[in-house]
Amino acid sequence: MKHNIKIVVNGDEYSLAVDPWRTLNEALREDLNLTGTKLGCGTGDCGACTVIVDGRAVSSCLTLAVSVDGKSVTTVEGLAPSGDELHPIQEAFIKTGAIQCGFCTSGMEIAALHLLSNNPSPTELEIRKGLSGHLCRCTGYNQIVEAISVAGEKMKKCCHEEERS
Amino acid sequence: MKEYSIIGKDVPRTDAEAKARGSALYTDDIRLPGMLHGRILRSPIAHGIIRSIDTSKASRLPGVKCVITSDDTPKIKYGNWRLFPETQDEYPLAVDKVRFIGDEVAAVAAIDRDTAEEALELIEVEYEELPGTFDVESSRAEGAPVIHDYCPSNVSVNRKIKYGDIEKGFSESDYIREDTFSFQAISHAYLEPCASLAQVDLDGRITLWTSTQTPYIVQCLLASTLGMRENDIRIIKPYVGGGFGGKMELRPWEFCAALMAKKTGRPVKFTLGREEEFLAGRRRHPMKIHSRVGFKKDGTLVAKDLRIQLDGGAYNAMGPTATFLCGNFGAMLYRYPNYRFLGEHVYTNKPPASAMRGFGAPQSLYASEVQMNIAAEELGIDPVDIRLKNAQVSGDQIPDVATISSCGFSESIRAVAEMSGWYEKRKSLKPGQGIGIGCYSFISGGVFNWFNTQYPFSAAEVRVFSDGTAHLLTMASDIGQGSDTVLKQILAEELGLRMEDIRMTSADTAMTPQGDLGTWGSRVTLMAGNAVIDAARKIKEQLFGAISARFNLNVIHHVECKNGRVQATARPDYGMSFGEAVAMVQKANRGEPLFARGSYTPRGKGLVTPAFGFGAQIAEVEVDRETGLVKVKNMWTAHDCGTVINPRSVEGQLAGSIQMGLGYALSEQMVMDGGRTVNVDFADYKMPTAMDMPPSEVVHVDTYEPEGPMGAKETGEGLASPTAPAISEAVYHATGFRCKDLPITPEKILKAI
Amino acid sequence: MRLPRFEYYAPETLEAALSLLEDRGEGAFVMAGGTDMMVKMSHGRLKPKTIISLKSIPGMDMISFDPANGMMIGATTRLADILTDLRIETHYPALIQAVQTMANVEVRNMATLAGNICNAAPSADSAPPLMVMNAEVSLASVRGERRLPLSDFFRGPGLTLMQAGEIMTSIHLPAPQVGRGASYMRISARCGVDIAAVGVGVEVRVQSGVFSEARIVLGAVAPVPLRASGSEASLIGKPLNDETLELVSDMAAHESKPISDVRASADYRKRMVAVLTRRAITQAYERSTARHS
Repeated sequence: MKHNIKIVVNGDEYSLAVDPWRTLNEALREDLNLTGTKLGCGTGDCGACTVIVDGRAVSSCLTLAVSVDGKSVTTVEGLAPSGDELHPIQEAFIKTGAIQCGFCTSGMEIAALHLLSNNPSPTELEIRKGLSGHLCRCTGYNQIVEAISVAGEKMKKCCHEEERS
Repeated sequence: MKEYSIIGKDVPRTDAEAKARGSALYTDDIRLPGMLHGRILRSPIAHGIIRSIDTSKASRLPGVKCVITSDDTPKIKYGNWRLFPETQDEYPLAVDKVRFIGDEVAAVAAIDRDTAEEALELIEVEYEELPGTFDVESSRAEGAPVIHDYCPSNVSVNRKIKYGDIEKGFSESDYIREDTFSFQAISHAYLEPCASLAQVDLDGRITLWTSTQTPYIVQCLLASTLGMRENDIRIIKPYVGGGFGGKMELRPWEFCAALMAKKTGRPVKFTLGREEEFLAGRRRHPMKIHSRVGFKKDGTLVAKDLRIQLDGGAYNAMGPTATFLCGNFGAMLYRYPNYRFLGEHVYTNKPPASAMRGFGAPQSLYASEVQMNIAAEELGIDPVDIRLKNAQVSGDQIPDVATISSCGFSESIRAVAEMSGWYEKRKSLKPGQGIGIGCYSFISGGVFNWFNTQYPFSAAEVRVFSDGTAHLLTMASDIGQGSDTVLKQILAEELGLRMEDIRMTSADTAMTPQGDLGTWGSRVTLMAGNAVIDAARKIKEQLFGAISARFNLNVIHHVECKNGRVQATARPDYGMSFGEAVAMVQKANRGEPLFARGSYTPRGKGLVTPAFGFGAQIAEVEVDRETGLVKVKNMWTAHDCGTVINPRSVEGQLAGSIQMGLGYALSEQMVMDGGRTVNVDFADYKMPTAMDMPPSEVVHVDTYEPEGPMGAKETGEGLASPTAPAISEAVYHATGFRCKDLPITPEKILKAI
Repeated sequence: MRLPRFEYYAPETLEAALSLLEDRGEGAFVMAGGTDMMVKMSHGRLKPKTIISLKSIPGMDMISFDPANGMMIGATTRLADILTDLRIETHYPALIQAVQTMANVEVRNMATLAGNICNAAPSADSAPPLMVMNAEVSLASVRGERRLPLSDFFRGPGLTLMQAGEIMTSIHLPAPQVGRGASYMRISARCGVDIAAVGVGVEVRVQSGVFSEARIVLGAVAPVPLRASGSEASLIGKPLNDETLELVSDMAAHESKPISDVRASADYRKRMVAVLTRRAITQAYERSTARHS
């Protein structure tokens, strides 16, 4: 029996009928055509499928779509405010060379968002710990760690300016 | 060094924003109306005869649209070594026999993936199991099971290199070192699992979107296995999530997608699961290396006798090239006046090994480097000094094989020793701490035309427009390494344009110029880069002629493309904007658009490569003497890649190489139980994470490669080699344990100390 | 890859969950975070007909603590919430040591302690520290509720004392006591994220400079987390010194019954039992004395 669920993805509300065994990853990629979220392993070991559900970064491959009924999901497509602008995390990833093949990128960026929302000034070790469930075969991680640190600085500055004004 | 405006700058990658936004499309992201999903049935046994296959139940499952076995195919063998058809040993789907666990037996296309998966369970295959062989010794033994009828010895390829007088060399040696090394298989572990999507048009022509490094190779081999004409196959490479050598052949699912799209009239997509990738996927060759090296007392190398057996698994794949290159790399780095190599590629009933970042070098150079370290110690010479004494220099030759053009090897060794504080640390580190060095050399693309291409090795077309823009078309394949950005940088530099002035179409066999052999062997920057320059210069000839005529320039004037203008160098006012110059040429040609084709094929460059990259790396480690765990504390690298076109990209390649080298040295291996790969997920295939990566410093040694575009040559692939020997030497320095069979596990360390 | 076909329910009360479970009988499985179950299902090792999620039951994800009665962790409390709980960090640091090594950020945002226990993997990181700290688990069924010491709970890989129709509702840790200290040490081949090759939990009580009580539990070296009773006994009455540590750790290695597998050989595991036992006893001792002051 299919379940009717309502989820808010990147601010937009969707009604879906899903089989109980459908994963959030499948629902996002196949039903909503939000293919920015990738599938790298299907066992929660690589991090490529990471999305944020109600403020927590989770593996979309290990999450049943039906369990997200009534919840709010953020995917990589929800990061940039518009086609002309980028999120500071995206900007930093581009600028520091943190992107090579790009397949781990959306998961890494979402992990960065989760990390920086909980810890706006992470140390290098904290960033590395935060990324330890994310595999990358291209970059050796170092430029990704740098990107997150750069993005953190930028985000603090933005918040600071917002507070001031 | 020449001043460039775009070369040598940290230009952001042109694909980075699409990837950062999640809008870059990879093959599995593409879906077409009416699309079917395919799954492959794989052999559960390592060696056996297929007695019968019954697909009737599977075909009857609602939602299943097509089930195929080899009986539905033309049964034409394929393999990358087209030049030697006898090496082409693989069918897209097994014919009569299976040779490894995971060998492709049948395929299903259904309305969704779950239905296809369910159908696989309904296919009934009756096997007659045969004894298998799982290592090179058993495969070569008398009476061993024969894996391919054409090859009763199970040795499918052998390669010999010989120069100097090896016996005389050893008789003149004061010190001879003889060791045997063995190497594990590791996985490419690209993050994007393989995927392919085929569509057939009304004329029966096939378009295949596929995660590949080599669109041209896939096009040709797909055509030949389907019995079709090459031009009736169009391969499009979408964004690719890494390859590292694992995506450079025709793969069965590419064939099945195309054939089933034809049979059903609907698009068919295959996407592999990670478990499948690990269970049946290509891997780096396990090897046995026996090496005998002779030195003079003062550390001068005199002779080397190298025997290598590659455990190729069930099919040749890219094994012949690896066999060939092992012998080449065995003779690299140092001057061996007398050298002999025998390489043998041996079949076993395991998943085929193939090309993987380094292509024979990681194994061959590990043996060389460890032996250099042993010799240094036993002869009482510092490891850095013994390397400097023997280091190859520009102009050195491997007779009949290669001549070394630019070479910054000695400079790299000195630089890395300096930046790491080598001499000091070698003496002063505490017990449990160690420092070690490893070096590498690597090719900038291959010369030997094993694919037997009838086209240039690389080609480019450049179209220019009166609005001041250009369009670059090339079949070169960016699989994540950043070659599209580098090729654009080269074109922008040549034409005096900005990055944003260039549109690029790449890796679409129907739209981009023939040909390109693809991404492997670190060939793209040098070969495709040269093709781009060739095309750009043809454009410039025309533009320069127009400027010369317009301003009535004396014929001795030098004209240039710079800052969006075409102008006389000495009189920039004699010039106009790039777009105006294009318009003028176009007018002169009565409206004919201005475009040019360029190409590059290495000629007169020996058998191996037009140019070698070099480098040296030092690792500092700390070993927990109770647990045997190794922590790599620091890495220092100095390397010679010629002109650095994009420093950020080069540094990213370097860090990625360290990650892979670190895994190769310490934790990664495909654990085998006979023919079965045991660790088939990332929980048990232990790839280094962000927590394992050491800080790393790098120096680019300044050289200029005359054969390379703007002086550039390979980077990133050669660097896959030095990390393991550097760590290995550092572990020895820390513990006294010398590892000759990778990986260096805690258990091995504890057993030894 | 393909998940089995199952029905899914997310009842909003424990009673509803229990009666559903009773009603569906065999083939019905209870899901908390789901991370282990999802992997098992995708590998075809678990084929439920019905999944009953506990995540919609309000309050089941609570952590409560009082100095007299100790700590209660609900069945749907996520590992991530355990890690950021200052009370746990202060009073039960050995549990934090275990949880921070479990999986990765994303999985810890989903997975639960109860799930890790019910999954009953011999390598489960949470079991040794919980067992040495005398944890108990509450199990509910339509027939009522019972509370069991965790040390009696495990029966084999994937096997526990839980009966059909039972749901683990919470995990309890006794109140922290002066003079006691616990530690968890584990080893794996990769420092980032990895399954433990060996894990050792130790709790000690130190009185007048000698060990007066000890519990030692070894993970991943037997079909169930293994109580090293001989080692425990040999620690009693002794002071902390190299001789004691060598004696006890050798005995722990002797008591362990590891197998060789893809993660480590039996020999290596035995050796690591000794090393980690030594380290964990030392740390537990330090913590017990720190708590005095």
